[in-house]
Amino acid sequence: MFTEIYGNLMKIFPADIYDQKCCNENELYLHANPAKILDFCTHINTEMGYSLVSMFANDETSLCEKYAVYYVFSDREKGLFLTLITLIDPLKMEFVSICEKVHAAALYEREIKDLFGLDPIGHPNAKRLVFHSNWPDGEFPLRKSYDVKHKPDFAKENISFNKVTGEGVFEIPVGPVHAGTIEPGHFRFSVAGEPIINLEAQLYFVHKGIEKMCEGESIERCLFVSERISGDETFANSYAYCQAIEKIAKMKIPPRAEYTRVIFAELERLTSHLGDLGGICLDTAYGFAAFQFRMMKGWAYGVADELCGMRFLRGVNKLGGVKLDFVAGKESKLIDQLNRIRTELEDTVKIIKANSLFIDRVENTGILQMSIAVDLNVTGPAGRASGIRYDVRKAFANDAYKQLTFTVPEHNNGDVNCRMNVKIEECFASIDLILKSLEMMPDGKVLEPIHSVEPFAYGLGIMESPRGENIHWVMTGENNTIFRYKIRTPSFCTWPAVCHAVKGNIVPDFPLINKSFNLSYAGNDL
Amino acid sequence: MFNVIRKIVKYPRLAQDYPRKPLDSSLFIGRPEIDLGKCTGCGECVNRCPSRAIVLDKKENGIGINYDECIFCTLCEEICPVGAVKMTNKFELAEKDRKLLRKSPIIIEERNISDKSYEVICSELSLNIKKTFGRSLQIREVDSGSCNACDSEINALNNPFNDIERLGIKFVASPRHADMLLVTGAATRNMQLALAKTYNATPDPKLVVAVGACACSGGIFRDTYATSNGIDSIVPVDVYIPGCPPRPQAILYGILKALDRV
Repeated sequence: MFTEIYGNLMKIFPADIYDQKCCNENELYLHANPAKILDFCTHINTEMGYSLVSMFANDETSLCEKYAVYYVFSDREKGLFLTLITLIDPLKMEFVSICEKVHAAALYEREIKDLFGLDPIGHPNAKRLVFHSNWPDGEFPLRKSYDVKHKPDFAKENISFNKVTGEGVFEIPVGPVHAGTIEPGHFRFSVAGEPIINLEAQLYFVHKGIEKMCEGESIERCLFVSERISGDETFANSYAYCQAIEKIAKMKIPPRAEYTRVIFAELERLTSHLGDLGGICLDTAYGFAAFQFRMMKGWAYGVADELCGMRFLRGVNKLGGVKLDFVAGKESKLIDQLNRIRTELEDTVKIIKANSLFIDRVENTGILQMSIAVDLNVTGPAGRASGIRYDVRKAFANDAYKQLTFTVPEHNNGDVNCRMNVKIEECFASIDLILKSLEMMPDGKVLEPIHSVEPFAYGLGIMESPRGENIHWVMTGENNTIFRYKIRTPSFCTWPAVCHAVKGNIVPDFPLINKSFNLSYAGNDL
Repeated sequence: MFNVIRKIVKYPRLAQDYPRKPLDSSLFIGRPEIDLGKCTGCGECVNRCPSRAIVLDKKENGIGINYDECIFCTLCEEICPVGAVKMTNKFELAEKDRKLLRKSPIIIEERNISDKSYEVICSELSLNIKKTFGRSLQIREVDSGSCNACDSEINALNNPFNDIERLGIKFVASPRHADMLLVTGAATRNMQLALAKTYNATPDPKLVVAVGACACSGGIFRDTYATSNGIDSIVPVDVYIPGCPPRPQAILYGILKALDRV
């Protein structure tokens, strides 16, 4: 598989691939010429059809006296990762921007600029992303020389928003403290009357420095940090982290643990989607339906309580499996409760779909075009509603998902209605998956603990969270610590898509559109 | 329409009677406790605790857990070689004084925020505050850098099971309408100014409740370049609710504790 890809690339760029390394079964790493990176990425993205799924820098001055930039592409049909590595001289501190050709790279490059001080040459809009005006110039926390506890003085730098001018054009600033019980973010609407001309989101209010604080910590501690990246994606994040470490340790978790993880991952998806559906109904002032969904969400939390004593599924995953055999002996109760949720969901969906006022509100609202979704690498329910037929559980299936059959919803219109329908269909699919897993689960161990890992090895963990594709890249350090931990949650890719989807809609529809995406601020800001 | 009425009749009341009647907490994971009789002081849990909440005083051979920092991950119970640590079902952990949650003394770092309107920490609250808010309370929630789990649990207070409005407590959209700020998260650098401004915008007298380990002490995100160690370095706090995240009922208990209603 890899020899073919490598051979084809060697034909086109014979002098620009310095080195290659295959690891962890489905990852190919190529050291490439930094001067040719734009051609490389354009070829891989447009000719070969691979998507840019993550991009990050790494301070490897202690290893090879250079900084490295990693470009991770994925082949979603074959389930492969192709990563390009370019090395950057610390005296130069700049790299060629690829975002003119590979649009998904735009945010990653701004992030690298903020955190490492590496300058993307040719970036059309390289203003600050992670840091706000209070952060002084010249402080780059992800460099190894930066002390994690060092808090620089508050500064007053200038960050400007895109200005829309003209007769009757107003700006509406919203946030960071919102009217609802939600996370902080600042939105700047430019409107002429009711319709939105432009929306700019300033996020990173909840930036906590997770990636930096994991460096040098034990792999065990980072598992608990990964559970706390984003509350309602707890399990998907810890799953991706565990998968990365298990790949590095070259071990396979026991089959019963795989199935247990499927059950918990699907339970998390069910809970999250029920909450989103309730939110959509609440934002259209459809109180009855909102409370029906909240009741079902409460039942789903009850299932979680029953299984592990934690409503947010924390402390379930372990490196090498799951902590306990949570499911054993609770099967019949679980089946009863899930069937109750399914019956209630069927009834409620019938009622809301028969309500023409409600459907009128969600149909053709907040359309995300497929071309934009592809360019920005939007995945998950938002991508599937816009016609992207991609699900991590199919493309990068683990052994359990390979055995289980389920259908991925197919919608094309990209509006709130489609996103809602995707979520409804996925709720039913999740319930079915849990019930099937319960039947198919083999007996046996659930944990084979990992005590030590090889130093300076790396691997990618990938999981479909309720919001989409979730990718964690881990590089280990000495004595079972983490050298670099790059987290990319689906929210990071999908936030710019929200700004596109609201254009032309009226301001009162923004909360509804936002809720239909239901992105995580914490998962984006890290 | 007929279907809607049928549903309403089918589920007339789901709200639990908590806090009037105690809750069945047998399934809950509450706070860990150390059996000092069994503990050998080996320090395994102290070294491996993800949020470094367990403190060992070698001189007095005293070991204890700072519950404001604890993330209730159950690791200490799992790794204790002599089985001295046990997770209990206790979830009503809110305290008015952070010292009561801690084994080791608190170090609150003072930070300067570059905003002139920033109010200096003052803990002088009107004495009749409880009389004023005893019956009805308006809450404004502020996320100052949480992972959104605490916010989800606060949202769950409004669900049919907890239905906080039956106690006369309501969530409002503006700090101007609020009597209490419910703050989650570790007060990140980018949120500190917004938190201070929200506090200043809330009319006196007011209460502040810190929800979750991050708001109490910084939790697992303590001591990074972008977070502060608890919101009490920014605003005065009346009640601390530990947990990661605390259950809706634990939050409810903390809110009522602030009002002296429990």
